Formats: sequence, C-alpha cells, structure tokens
Amino acid sequence: MRKFLAVIKREYIQRVRTKFFVIATILGPLMMAGFTIVPALMFSIKAGGPTRVAVIDQTGKMYQRVARELTNGRPVHSSTPQPESPPGRTNNPNDIDQNGRIFQGSFVVEEVRLDNQPLDQIRRQLDARIQNKSLDGYIVLPPNLLKDEQPEYRARNAADLFTQNYVENSLSRAVRAQRMVEANIDEKAVEKMSQPVNLKTTGASGEESKGESSFYFAFGMGLLIYMSVMLYGQFVLGAVIEEKETRIAEILFSSIRSFPLMIGKLVGVSLVALTQLGIWGLAFLLFTLYGVGMLAGRGVDISWPHIPPMMFVYFVLYFLMGYFIYATVYAVVGSMVTTTQEGGQLALPLVLMLVAGFYLSFSIIRSPNSSLAFWASMFPFFAPITMLVRIVTETPPFWQIALSLVIGFATAVGLIWLASRIYRVGMLMTGKKASIPEVWRWVRQS
Amino acid sequence: MEDAKPTLVLDHVTKRYGDFTAVNDLSLQVRPGRVFGLIGPNGAGKTTTIRMIVNIIIPDSGRVELFGQKMTTALQDRIGYLPEERGLYKKMKVGEQLRFFAELKGLRGKEADERIDNWLRKLQLSDWKDKRAKELSKGMQQKVQFITAVIHNPDLVILDEPFSGLDPVNVDLMKETIQEQKAAGKTIILSTHQMEIAEKLCDDVCMINRAHKVLDGRLREIRRSFSRNAVALQFEGGDGFLNDPALVANIRQNGDDCEVLLVPGASPQTLLRRLVDAGVAVTKFELVEPTLHDIFIEKVREAA
Repeated sequence: MRKFLAVIKREYIQRVRTKFFVIATILGPLMMAGFTIVPALMFSIKAGGPTRVAVIDQTGKMYQRVARELTNGRPVHSSTPQPESPPGRTNNPNDIDQNGRIFQGSFVVEEVRLDNQPLDQIRRQLDARIQNKSLDGYIVLPPNLLKDEQPEYRARNAADLFTQNYVENSLSRAVRAQRMVEANIDEKAVEKMSQPVNLKTTGASGEESKGESSFYFAFGMGLLIYMSVMLYGQFVLGAVIEEKETRIAEILFSSIRSFPLMIGKLVGVSLVALTQLGIWGLAFLLFTLYGVGMLAGRGVDISWPHIPPMMFVYFVLYFLMGYFIYATVYAVVGSMVTTTQEGGQLALPLVLMLVAGFYLSFSIIRSPNSSLAFWASMFPFFAPITMLVRIVTETPPFWQIALSLVIGFATAVGLIWLASRIYRVGMLMTGKKASIPEVWRWVRQS
Repeated sequence: MEDAKPTLVLDHVTKRYGDFTAVNDLSLQVRPGRVFGLIGPNGAGKTTTIRMIVNIIIPDSGRVELFGQKMTTALQDRIGYLPEERGLYKKMKVGEQLRFFAELKGLRGKEADERIDNWLRKLQLSDWKDKRAKELSKGMQQKVQFITAVIHNPDLVILDEPFSGLDPVNVDLMKETIQEQKAAGKTIILSTHQMEIAEKLCDDVCMINRAHKVLDGRLREIRRSFSRNAVALQFEGGDGFLNDPALVANIRQNGDDCEVLLVPGASPQTLLRRLVDAGVAVTKFELVEPTLHDIFIEKVREAA
C-alpha cells in the first residue's frame, strides 16, 4: 500500500509542478472567459469614442429620419436646429457621453448643407476633416434616393463591417419610412404591425431557459470532457512509454507488482486532472457569483447559464468514468509499443472513438430523448460525453443515468483487469511492437 | 561461512520465449557474503536469469529459492537490482528520484533522506542532487542508478554490467564500493561479459553460454584446475635453448611476452635454470594462470 501511494505521489507531484500544468490551468479559465466574454465585449464596446458622421442630404427631407435611425431613436443632436452653425462644429460632448459606449448609441450626426455650393467642394472639405480626424465618415444622400439612387458612405475605416452594416440598415429603415409616408401609409400603424415577435423559451420544468447559453453550456461540457479525457489519456500513454523506453519498468517491477503500479499511475494522473478541473470549477463559480454581476453593472450583458450543483457531481463522475476507460486502454497501448510515434498510431482508433462520442453529442443536443441518444449514452466509450450532454439538455430518468454509470464503471474495472495482465508482459518486451494475437496470449497465460 | 545456507538457489530453471530458449535447465547456488560472477557473452541468458531471480519474470519450470524461501514479492525488498538497461526519469531531480525508488523499496522518512545524502556524497554526486537526470552524464546516471540498487541496504545486490559506460576513475570507485558491500556481509551477484573484471572481483563464478551452464565453482579452484603449466618470459639473447620437446610443448609470442607452455609434469624451475645457463638476461619470469577468457573459450570449444 505504501508503495502504491509512492507511485501516486510521484505521478501527482511531478506533473502538477510542470510548467505545462501551471500554464494550462491558468489559460483554461482565461480561454473560457475569452469565449464567452470577449465576444460580448467586442459587440458592445467600440474603442475610440463615438463615430462622427456627417450627412449631406440632397433630397432635402431625409436628414431628420436618417439621423434619428443612426442614433437609434434618441433625440438627434444635430446641427439642424442651428442652421447658422459652421459645418465644422461637433455636437455637445456631454450628450455623447450620456449615450455611453454602447455601440448603437455611439453615433454623432451632423448635417452638412449644400447651400448652393458644388457637391465636390463640400466633399473635399469633408475629406479634409476625415484626414485631420475631426470626422470619421460622411454619408451622401443623392436627390433620387427614394427611387433607386444609391447613397454613399465614405469612411476612414471602410473595413468596419459592423458600422457599415449599421449605416445600411439605418438608411434602409429611414427610406422605407419616408416612402410609406409619401404613399400615404400611416407610419405608426406600420410600425405597430411590423413589431417582431420575441420568442420566450422555457425548459420542461418551467424555468425560463436561456436557449443559446444552455446550448453552449451543453456543448461546452461535452467539449471539456472530450478534451480532458484526451489530454490526460495521452499523459498516461506518454508516461507508460517513457517507463518502457527508459527501462525504468524493470526496476519498478523488481519493487512493486504490476497491478498496483498501473493503478497508482492511473490514479495519480487522475488526481492531477481533478486538481485542474477543480481549479477551473472554482474559477467558474467565482465568476458566476461575482464576475457576471460586475460585468452586467458595466453594461456588458453576457448570458450565463444557471448550473445546478448536481451538475458538478455528474461532471466529475462522467469525467472519471471516461478517464479510467480511455486512460486504461492508453496504458495498454503504451506497454505494447516501443516509441511514442507507434503509440500514436496504435491509439488512433481510441481517439476516433472519443471523437465519435463528441460528434454524436451534436445530434443529441437536438434530440436528447431519441433512441440514438439512449443507446449512445449507454455505450461506455461514448457515455462520458453523450450522457452528460443529455443531462444538461434534458435530464433523462434517473435509472438511465445510474445504468450508464454502472455499465461505464464496470467496463473500466474489466479493462483495468485485462490491462494489468498485458501491461506486465508488454513493459518488459522490447525491440518490436506487440501484435494483437501475442497480446491475447499474454492475457490468457498470465 | 562455508556451510551457511545458500542465499540463492536456482534449481533446474528453464525459460522459453516462444521457440527460443533463453535459459535451459540452469542450476546454481550463491553463497552468502560472496561475490558471485555470472559470466558469459552477450545473449547467453544472463539477464533472463537475473530477471527470474528478482521475480519480474517467472520461470516456465524449475525453482527459485531466496534466503531459503520460495520467491515472493515480499522478498523483493531484500534485493537490490541494477539492471543492465538503465533508466531514470529524465525530468525528475536526482534527489527526488532516489527518494521515490527508496520508497518503492519500503524505505521512508528521514532515514531515506539521510541514506540518500550519504550515498550521493560517497559517489561524489552531492552537487547534482537537485539536477534533473537528463543533465547528468551517462556515467553519473549510472552511479545514481547504482544508488537505487543499494539504498535500502539489501542482503542481496544484483549488478548487471555495472561497469559499462564508466571511465577508469569511476570503474575503480565502483569496484571499491562493491568490495565494501561485500565486506559489509552482502551477497553480490555480478553479471558481466568482461571476464577480466570478473576475475578480479569474484569469489565464485558461473559461466553460461547459449542458455546453458558451461561450468561453475570457486574461481581459484577453477583456475587451478585449468592451469596449463605456462610461463610468461621476457629476455634478451638467443632462444635456441627452448627447442627441447622434453620440456617445452609450445611457444607463443604474446606482445612483448614470450609465452612458453611446458609439457605436463615439467617444472618451471628447470626452465629457469636453462635460462640462467644459457646466459640470457631475464627481465620477466612469471607463472601464467589461465584467464577466465581462456577457460571460457576452452570450455565452449569442448562443448562444440
């Protein structure tokens, strides 16, 4: 037992202290945060203050509407009420700040009147202002805008697709509304009639579901299991190959029986994995408790799933199940081969199995109660991913969960038993890769 | 000491791998407190024999008895083993590595640390305690590995080719250490294909070739029984006096030496008198004991 603990201790300490572990543990939550928060930030925060746009209205009647659409219905802080103001003046900066840094409100619009000057001359003036950065862009509304003439948006940053899109939509709405008015259609009525529906989705138990975020959550859980099982399985493979290649195995076997040695190794690496997942779990929890609220207070609304505590328990259970199934097979593979490359080749079917389980989870997220979902979550090589995804999307009856756990852990025990017989012989065999019939003979003989 | 129970008994032990017989019907006894040489060329079956002794492979037939008991995993802790193919965890520090192997042998706590420090000092490795194994030279790694074999103070130390890869200084250090172990009452099994080294260190030897035992016994007795009545000579002057079939059976030039094989029964004293009478200047006159190498070759030829 003491020797067994010595193996676990070595495996654990040597791994937890590596730079890789430290970096991966820190980067994990950062990446998690990256995937959820950064897009939210990107969409909501636009660096560098509001976009200052000038509008040259050659139709003579569109400016108000366009300005209102651009500033999203807020009062237009434009220069129209002050026709005498020179074209160069910007709007009251206080108003801009009140609009906040939210993208939709971050337009400052000013009207530039032609006042019988030629269009080209005004363009030149505005181009000069864009050059000296007192303006970000200008819109030219041609006289026949309402028919089919194309408006033009000239911007310093023509690659800013978001702004471009936004300008286009705003102009479309303004033009559509003006056309209606001119066709004698009540604008208010149209607005009322074209109000979009807002779909409210609720889970089976009645709580309001944040559809998108729980999809991502189910997907994320599947991905996390997949990646950790793969990563830590590979660790076991690497560790076994190292001991075989360097012939440390010979000393080990002269001191400890192969069964506790192999189990010690598997348990040691699993503890490393649990340490890492534990740190991530804690980071997740802290973020849920403090981070989400804090960001919301700053106007960044990220959709964050509500996770029942039982979820963490299931996660750990299914992770361990997946880990012990796959890592055990990895250990066997490692003992059969002579080099890391060979190990990679021989482990390929195993990797494919794991990938298959991961891809199955896509269809399972869509129909978690199909018979495909049922059988996939009973098959021990798929269950760690598929059953977890089912639990997240639409929790199956408890007997199904229990059954899949029983099948899975029974499989793991069987594999470990089988593996320990192959391991001992394989580890001492050198020179060539073992063939499957050979391995089968080892199993029967030992 | 002579009548003490043998430390190790192999009784008609055979190990096959498929069609290949690695060790065939091998019997031997290792007596306590002695250095036992397991000698033979590469591929003779030495390593397989040792692996059966340390219980990492199990013989197909025959019996291995250690300290008067049937081999068990518990007895493994009383053996120290330096395998031929050496391995250390490359990224692990020397000190931690030794600590781990000590723990695997049931050693722990302060005692383990003290012994590790003592051994590192003894083998001039103290400065390397916190270095990773991969930073060490091959010879140093080997010394570290040697420590793992003796750290738990085992009764039986098995060294498989302990000198390969060592420079002359470290070979001497290693020899010295082996002698100390012997003086401390340990039984030592030394497996090697370097017969000159075995000759200097071993009390008893067992020669194996192609899975079979060629001969075994006390080294001194073996050499005596193979004595060929030969003299190594160095002299200046004519050598006509050597042409006497009643005295000299054969002459062989061996480097600067002239090796003279006397006819059975002839006395070396007669040869010496002849030399003096012939008036040649003798710079070397030495009775030649057969080397293990010679004995081995002779036995293998006999068997063929």
